Amino acid sequence: MLLTPEILTILILDTLFVFFASISFILSIKISLKWDLNSTSQAQYKLERESFLASTIIKYIFMLKIPLFLFFIFTLNKLAIVIPGAMCGAGVVNATVYGNYLLVLKVLNLYIFASWLTLHLNDIKQENQPYTKLKFTLFIFVFFLLMSEIYIEWLMFNAIDINKIVDCCGTLYSSGANSYISEFFKIDTSVLLTIFYGTFSFIIASYLLKNRYTFSILNLVFMLISIITLIIFFGIYIYELPTHHCPFCLLQKDYYYIGYFLYTFLYLGTFYGISSLFNQQNMKKSLFFNTLYMVIVSCYPIFYYLKNGVFL
Amino acid sequence: MIKDKINIYLVEYAINSILRQKYKSLFIVVVFTFLTFLLSSMFFITNSIKYELNSTRKALPQIIVQKQIGGKNYDIDINRVDKILNIAGVEDAISRVWGYYYFDNARVNFTLVGVNQFENQYKNSLQKIVDKTDFDKDENTPIMVVGKGVKKVLSQNYYKEYLNFIKPDGKLLKVSIDGIFDADTKLESNDMIVMSEDTLREIFDMPSDKATDIVVKVSNPKEVQTVALKIKQLYPDSRVITNDDLKVSYENIFDYKGGVFLALFIVSLFTFFMIVYDKASGLSGEQKKEIGILKAIGWSVDDVLKVKFYEGFIISFFAYINGVILSLIFVHILQAPLLRDIFVGYRGLKPAFELPFILDIQTLSLVFFLSVPIYISATIIPSWRVATLETDEVIR
Amino acid sequence: MIYLKDITKVYEINKNNKVVALQNINLDIDEGELVVLRGASGSGKSTILSLIASLSKPTSGEVIVDEKRISKLPDSFASKYRQENIGFIFQKYNLIPTLSVTENILLPLIPLNPDEKVAKKKLDEVMARFDISHKASQLVKSLSGGEQQRVAIARANINNPKIIIADEPTANLDEKLSLNFIEILKQMKELGKTIVVATHDPLFFNLDFVDKEIKIHKGKLL
Repeated sequence: MLLTPEILTILILDTLFVFFASISFILSIKISLKWDLNSTSQAQYKLERESFLASTIIKYIFMLKIPLFLFFIFTLNKLAIVIPGAMCGAGVVNATVYGNYLLVLKVLNLYIFASWLTLHLNDIKQENQPYTKLKFTLFIFVFFLLMSEIYIEWLMFNAIDINKIVDCCGTLYSSGANSYISEFFKIDTSVLLTIFYGTFSFIIASYLLKNRYTFSILNLVFMLISIITLIIFFGIYIYELPTHHCPFCLLQKDYYYIGYFLYTFLYLGTFYGISSLFNQQNMKKSLFFNTLYMVIVSCYPIFYYLKNGVFL
Repeated sequence: MIKDKINIYLVEYAINSILRQKYKSLFIVVVFTFLTFLLSSMFFITNSIKYELNSTRKALPQIIVQKQIGGKNYDIDINRVDKILNIAGVEDAISRVWGYYYFDNARVNFTLVGVNQFENQYKNSLQKIVDKTDFDKDENTPIMVVGKGVKKVLSQNYYKEYLNFIKPDGKLLKVSIDGIFDADTKLESNDMIVMSEDTLREIFDMPSDKATDIVVKVSNPKEVQTVALKIKQLYPDSRVITNDDLKVSYENIFDYKGGVFLALFIVSLFTFFMIVYDKASGLSGEQKKEIGILKAIGWSVDDVLKVKFYEGFIISFFAYINGVILSLIFVHILQAPLLRDIFVGYRGLKPAFELPFILDIQTLSLVFFLSVPIYISATIIPSWRVATLETDEVIR
Repeated sequence: MIYLKDITKVYEINKNNKVVALQNINLDIDEGELVVLRGASGSGKSTILSLIASLSKPTSGEVIVDEKRISKLPDSFASKYRQENIGFIFQKYNLIPTLSVTENILLPLIPLNPDEKVAKKKLDEVMARFDISHKASQLVKSLSGGEQQRVAIARANINNPKIIIADEPTANLDEKLSLNFIEILKQMKELGKTIVVATHDPLFFNLDFVDKEIKIHKGKLL
């Protein structure tokens, strides 16, 4: 296994996660089986105390996961140096069969943990703590997702072979490639852009109409269409190169690390958007971040046109 | 969650609490600072060396061709140069004559580099030396130009103007020191001696149709791998090393050494973890009473947990910053005595180079992740225990 | 205002060792009343106080304060209730000795995260009322018994709670300080507070401003 200090660090922290999440897991099972807020038994009081431990651990894991995810991306970019053929993180991700699944799972888990915490906050705000049993039962599934993520991460780092040459992002993210992404290249760009801006307009409409349900679903759509259009359309204006579609290179110094900002705004915007189903107040925050994302990402083609008089 | 306005009073209480437990806090801060100091020093040193090496590497040839059979290096035939020159994409191919000479008196290796005055050199620094020096000036005694480190070692061993090289057959060859050179990087030049090819062949008893290796220049950098492959196919007994291969291997050497260090570090961190846990769990009666009072007068479990978290974070973050700053001073101002020798493992002279100042976010975050979150995780269970104490039992 | 309905409290030390602190207690305290709970140590009076303060939860029964069921409040709500409604005066003051007078008195305010000016106003007011302003920045451990007592009382009053609970407040005091304390109690009653005192100090018996005297013995009311 390739044991760089970065990988070792991630694995050490993963071990901590496994240890602590397991504690929460066991407590979650206890709570989901025996929790009864009306009971005055010693056992229930003990359970109430233990629920604090369980939720504190989950908070800790989530708070750590966010910077750790950024660190993970850093690590992928750094590994690109030692893996032949890789110019950026994209090559590293595709060096093994696990890479793409891991990335998707990590992002998914960020959304899921954030959702759990929102549920938790709503629960403790109310005197009768209506969601306690539910949230800990849900955590049982979240636990399995977390363990899967860690296991796949371990598998991936184990499987990286520095003697095997990988494709660089130029090959991977192109219309010629043999992946699911290439399917999207076949669709007319103007259709994709219409969906993108269209979804955004509907989001604004939902906000004005205060409709949580459509707002929430539209955010889900927005998340997906944003990533697709970023790769196929907006990316090339950031790189100023009609063939460069890579979603990873954005994160590098050459482009002023704009990728971190874009992805963060998109994550926050869509997370608050989707979770506004439960919490109406999140709609405002969601709109703010989504607008920020939309504006920044649109600026690139606009400025390119103003500077050069043509589109790519 | 984080969005609720942070209660500054709780933060103040946490700081106050840390200061009130002077000795315990001081102990933890000192130990933790020391651990982060060691860790960041290691990373800073290896980063600097990597940087230095990479600067050197860029000046190295794109492809080096050696003859290797059974894992052993042999002298390579000079006529291979012609065939290599014929490969598409090859701009130039030059044979090199060089080797290590073991100087017994000081128990160090010198790197001997042979130059042919009448040909182009593969490196600018050598070209400069060739332009300045006439290696044939003295018919009777060959001359050499030495690096600063070499001059120092020879002087220390009473060889001020010349050196008697011991040939493989036991006979001596006297070579005069004509001058000292400085090259592009100090790491490279310190243990180097430049002399004419013929002199070197005499010292190593190398025939004139052989060379140590062949360096190849490729016009299009993207084709280096292809050319390397072709050379390998042409001469199956050759070992072809590209510049990229070197880059990868440098990355890996330090990661190995760094990895070993890191493994040791984990052990100490684990021990420290246990100490922290133990100290935090075995709360004094006074500590418990204090929390009990707080809860009785209206503090919630959440408030107590927050205070404990702030305490833990402040202590560990403070120690982290201290460790990093001390380490920067140690590595770059004091130039890391003792520690750096572990990493600069040279067969040759220990070069007197200066560790370049490299400070990047990746290293800082690496040290951060290996210290602060781990410390905080050690405090989770003890903090929870104390925050959920049954109040009425405590205050009786 | 304060109702204890069929309260039973059992402490489980371990599976085989149970202590019945209170058995089927029914108690009624009206607003503005000063009630003395009289009984020996271990009779259960401290337990009643912690139940009223929502510091512990009953094994069965209900505690209702100001028409609100406080017996089974989750922790964050229980502490909020305590912050807003209860001022607790402990047997041994239970001040934090390594903190100053000001810091001790402010402690109950911290979780509320109040505006600095508001906090200062409340602090000055309560320190003046109990005549401890002149020792504001001194560490509590350097104060005399009487001064510490006043700090404890000030702390209990800073949130202007409706209910004052005192657990054996004069147990460690000489007669002079005890009488002092009783004077202060009278003052607080005149401010309209509901006061519950648990004590076996005879100085409290047959006081003219005590509204009710409740005797308790081995977990049962007499």
